[in-house]
Amino acid sequence: MEYYFRAEKLTVGYNGRPVVKDIEASVKKGQIATLIGPNASGKSTILKSMASQLKTISGVALINDTPLEAINPQRLARQMAIVSTERPQPELMTCGELVAVGRYPYTGKLGILSDEDKEKIAEALSLVKALELMDRNLTEVSDGQLQRIMLARALCQEPEIIILDEPTSFLDIRYAVEILDVLHRLATERKVTVIMSLHELNYARRVSDLVICIKNGYVMELGEPEAIFTEETISRLYDLPAGTYTELFGEL
Amino acid sequence: MRTWRMRQLLIALVLFLLFFALVGLNIKMGSVKMPLGQALIPNTIEHDILWKVRLPRLTAATVLGGALALSGFLLQTFFGNPIAGPFVLGISAGAKLIVALVMVFVLGRGFTVNSKMIVSAAFVGAMLSMAFVLAVARRVNRTSSLIISGVMIGYICSAITDFVVVFASDENIVNLHHWSQGSFSGTSWADVRVMAAVIFVAAVTTFFLSKPISAYRLGESYAQSVGVNIRVFRILLILLSSILCACVTAFAGPVSFVGVAVPHLIKAITRTSKPHIVIPFCFLGGAVFCLGCDLVARTIYAPMEMSISSVSSLLGAPVVIWIMAGRVGGE
Repeated sequence: MEYYFRAEKLTVGYNGRPVVKDIEASVKKGQIATLIGPNASGKSTILKSMASQLKTISGVALINDTPLEAINPQRLARQMAIVSTERPQPELMTCGELVAVGRYPYTGKLGILSDEDKEKIAEALSLVKALELMDRNLTEVSDGQLQRIMLARALCQEPEIIILDEPTSFLDIRYAVEILDVLHRLATERKVTVIMSLHELNYARRVSDLVICIKNGYVMELGEPEAIFTEETISRLYDLPAGTYTELFGEL
Repeated sequence: MRTWRMRQLLIALVLFLLFFALVGLNIKMGSVKMPLGQALIPNTIEHDILWKVRLPRLTAATVLGGALALSGFLLQTFFGNPIAGPFVLGISAGAKLIVALVMVFVLGRGFTVNSKMIVSAAFVGAMLSMAFVLAVARRVNRTSSLIISGVMIGYICSAITDFVVVFASDENIVNLHHWSQGSFSGTSWADVRVMAAVIFVAAVTTFFLSKPISAYRLGESYAQSVGVNIRVFRILLILLSSILCACVTAFAGPVSFVGVAVPHLIKAITRTSKPHIVIPFCFLGGAVFCLGCDLVARTIYAPMEMSISSVSSLLGAPVVIWIMAGRVGGE
């Protein structure tokens, strides 16, 4: 089984109305695949469908050759973690408690944390450099800190695949690079498959093994970053006037 | 972490002390003096009052108070709304209406009603109100609209209940009027056995939902992504909160604001929303709250009694205002 994640003729959308049609993509174990494209092109819709949060319209998404909907949700929770654009900030909940939610698939009936769980929580928090936030209330952290906490929660779920929607938004450049670095290390060291959407093209270029361009309801182009980040493709994807690409990316 | 634990232990201690103090006061105080020595001798009036009136009544206040607080906590979890509660959403009133209809109908035909029948009727009524609230919640997503429609449902059901109760002039129904205002009076040991059994099962089940409730604090999609079966979970929340509220309404009528005030106060003093802690504390807190309210309701104008809701509203409604003020201030 060469590919960890595959989409075959996958059509996604809301209430039976397609947003993106006929997606064909395959991602190997330990690869990072990044969706790019204009606003409202359907990147989040694709990610939600891949995360089994949204019913697909037709076609199939497969993990390890098993269709997503055939995997029992409790098992899927041990294989897949998500970081969406939702930023929950419930009252009177600490960052440590939020990260502990990632241990849900592993704890017993009452959800009591074992010493091992607590270690995993601390490890995940230190991986995103947020260990000192453990006992802080969620209402007292910044958006950037919250985003790192959300990632820590996904990490301590020990997934084989992580799906992230705009993981670097709200982050200043230092933390954005650090988060991407964490994802890169997960992919190379632990062979975790990463599928995400990114706005910042320079990040996408740096971190991805596979870039998927979404435009006008279809996958416009798909390939390695070297093949995608050309003036022709990017200008076509974002409808850039001639010359803009070199202006923006000339130095890359 | 340490100080946090200490704080919770201290709160537990204080709540237990309050609980036992209130149990003591509820035994001692009332329209009849209760010298304890006398009360322990069988076949005295004091003995009878203690064992047949005060003890079952205070047990009912304890169990039903705990149930109300849990019911409110579950509804707040379900709607993601701190002001949701069985009384505010009109669920108590729905239960009350169906119970009144069943009682008038059955008593009017010369049959007697048993407590199981009343609990079932209350459950049907609670579910009907709940169905209506859910239908509204599906259409409008705003907190205020949800609460307003709940309050209106409450008024409508209460009004119909009044019509039914006044219209049916049967002697038995005199009690009904008293009950429809909310009161713990007239509880028998037989009633206590039924309510304790139902509430025990519901409360333990609620505690076993601690794990998904904890994850649900992050919202539906994150909860689902870690393996919570959202459909089953939501149905359980609805069923449990309805059963708990129905049981209270069946025996004590509608009791206002306990379901909103107690969970909020408990979270504020324990400084956590962790369900493993909030659930048991809510039960204890609800028990203390209702024991206190009932003590006031039956002693302040003794031998006359006030309705329990008058007292609980006076204490509970300001908490609701406090919650709303806090929300607005925080935003």
